[in-house]
Amino acid sequence: MANKKMTLALFSGSVDKLTAAGVILGGAAAEDMDVEIFVLLQAAFAFKKENAMTNERVAEITDKQDEFLASLKRLNAPHWTEAFRNAKEMTNVKIHICGFAGKVWHGEKLEDFIDLADDICGIGEYMSAAETSDINLFI
Amino acid sequence: MTTEELTALTVDKTVDARGTSCPGPLLAAKKAIGEIEKGQIMEVLSADEGTRRDIPKWCTKKGFEYLGTLEESGYFKIFLRK
Repeated sequence: MANKKMTLALFSGSVDKLTAAGVILGGAAAEDMDVEIFVLLQAAFAFKKENAMTNERVAEITDKQDEFLASLKRLNAPHWTEAFRNAKEMTNVKIHICGFAGKVWHGEKLEDFIDLADDICGIGEYMSAAETSDINLFI
Repeated sequence: MTTEELTALTVDKTVDARGTSCPGPLLAAKKAIGEIEKGQIMEVLSADEGTRRDIPKWCTKKGFEYLGTLEESGYFKIFLRK
């Protein structure tokens, strides 16, 4: 039986939402789903090499950012890049950087982004993947 | 299985995932299941409340047999047969 498919339109570049995406990716990996992630606008900022490990912004409940980040450490939760990497090791995950999003953050080439990224693509790829996926999320 | 039956089980593999949060225990189980043979029994130790519900569902989807859960002091022992 073919694996189920999930597509994720990843817009957010904030640690709270990227962490949530990592948790969902873990669930998909546990079930051997094929996953395609499309890194859009603000997420492309977080995927830039110089930002991935230093970006600590949260998108929601921003006045509790310090508490949130401390709790991630207390709970031994992996950094979102680690959660994404684990998922890639356990199931078929492809990560596409939106070409437009890359340019917004002066990322023209794949080498400008962390090595989790597989390629740079246009929105047509997302549309094709989303049409045939079992789960389609926007985060 | 009853508590007595679960307690008496001979376990082929133990996965101690008590130091991780969701989805850590589930992913640890996924990694470890490849290391046992069909018919063998694995127990997953988890302090995560969600995992005791996730593992049975995961077993159903992946074709493994969920055997039951023992509640210990501060964690769960979740048993399954590959």
